[in-house]
Amino acid sequence: MSDGGKESERDHESRSKKNQSSAGCDEFGRAVAKVAVAQICESVGLEGCNLSAIDAFSEVVVRYIYDLGKSARFYANLAGRADCNVFDIIQSLEDLSAPMGFSGASDIHHCLVGSGVAREITQYVNTVDEVPFAKPIPKFPISRLPKSSPSFAQAGLEPAGKHIPDWLPRFPDPHTYVHTPVWNKRATDAKADKIEQARQRRKAERSLLGLQQRLASNAAAGFQPVNDDGTGKAKQVVASTSNPFLAPPLTFTEKEVSEVVIPCEMDEGKKLLDEGKKLSDEDKKLTAVETFAPIIEAVKSGSLDLDLSEKKPLLTSRPTVHFKIGVDKKSIASSLTAMNPRKDAWPFRDEEKDDKKKRAEMILREAMEKPHDLAQL
Amino acid sequence: MNSSSSSMGGDGRHDDDAALTEFLASLMDYTPTIPDELVEHYLARSGFHCPDIRLTRLISVATQKFISDVASDALQHCKARQAAPVKDKSKQPKDKRLVLTMDDLSKALQEYGVNLKHQEYFADSPSTGMDPMSREE
Repeated sequence: MSDGGKESERDHESRSKKNQSSAGCDEFGRAVAKVAVAQICESVGLEGCNLSAIDAFSEVVVRYIYDLGKSARFYANLAGRADCNVFDIIQSLEDLSAPMGFSGASDIHHCLVGSGVAREITQYVNTVDEVPFAKPIPKFPISRLPKSSPSFAQAGLEPAGKHIPDWLPRFPDPHTYVHTPVWNKRATDAKADKIEQARQRRKAERSLLGLQQRLASNAAAGFQPVNDDGTGKAKQVVASTSNPFLAPPLTFTEKEVSEVVIPCEMDEGKKLLDEGKKLSDEDKKLTAVETFAPIIEAVKSGSLDLDLSEKKPLLTSRPTVHFKIGVDKKSIASSLTAMNPRKDAWPFRDEEKDDKKKRAEMILREAMEKPHDLAQL
Repeated sequence: MNSSSSSMGGDGRHDDDAALTEFLASLMDYTPTIPDELVEHYLARSGFHCPDIRLTRLISVATQKFISDVASDALQHCKARQAAPVKDKSKQPKDKRLVLTMDDLSKALQEYGVNLKHQEYFADSPSTGMDPMSREE
């Protein structure tokens, strides 16, 4: 099979050097041998070589080196030595060169120093140009030292028992061999949990009630602050979600304020409130949600538009909230995130939000999205 | 060995000895193409143990000589093939490039006692089985 002619260059394609030589698969050594062989072929005058040819050639070269070493070792062992000698090598060279023949091969008594092969090699070295290997290669195979576990002395531990010397490796950690049951750290008191649950439920109920009451009272004349404990809380529930503008309003003489200009959107708010009031006869809980939908929506959108473009006559009872009713559709997640930083900024907040309250509000909002859409449609 | 030859051989041996020692010393200056690490790896595999780097160099030089001999023989075969009368004139410029093929290599290695045979063809294309040189690439 002859592949296309290949240039034996420095960038040999066999250069995928994997720095691991598994037993039986000496890839790195083979790759290096291929490169060396290609370099020598190039120095001889060959311009290219087939891949299969270079593979076979490098295989032969590896075998050659191996055979040289093997026979050299054999000769050394024969002489009763373990380390090899220059004479062992010359003898093995003679053995391998026997098919080709060298000068003085027939002379069995000659001294190895004057051997033909040695002379030939000397000649070769003197005549041929030096072509060093293309790249430096590390010493391979790389042997990894096994990680030994530290001894008792090294770890600084006292061995368990006098019969154990401290130079022995230490015992493994108990968690590696002892299985201990895992307990839930939190102390669960069933009674306390139930009490807490009931308390939270009561709070939620109170806030809903307050919402309802406020709705009923505000439907007549805009938003009037009702100083009721429940509604106060309810208002804070709503207020704390959004806006300092939803603060409980100051009484008439408390603070010097300028005249307030009501933007035109306030009428829309009133209209929606009236609509809600009509619906309020049907289902109480739902109406609360529905009625509150646009208000809370506006609060969520957070845009309190004090547009002074259109001036209208001031009402006798100053409304506390100005709305911009929009069609902004916001996800619950964004509303919650918008809720949280404002909650922190809220100066009049007395109590923290409970999880139940948060959840209640989330449900409110969730329910609001859909009726809100319907209302807008 | 008779004494005469031994005495004469003694001088010769001395010269040879000197030559060999000198050669081994010169090996340290010469950098063989085959890297030392590769040779050491395969020698270690075969059981060859010698701490002397000169002997490793000697083996790598010997291997290099072997390779160059085989390669030059293959080159001769390649040139001989090119010098032969060409059947098709259009192929001539392409053949000027000296490429080591399996054919040439197996012929060269035959003299060294290495029998290298490879698949003649894999019957996967219509042009398989033809002489590789005469086949259009």
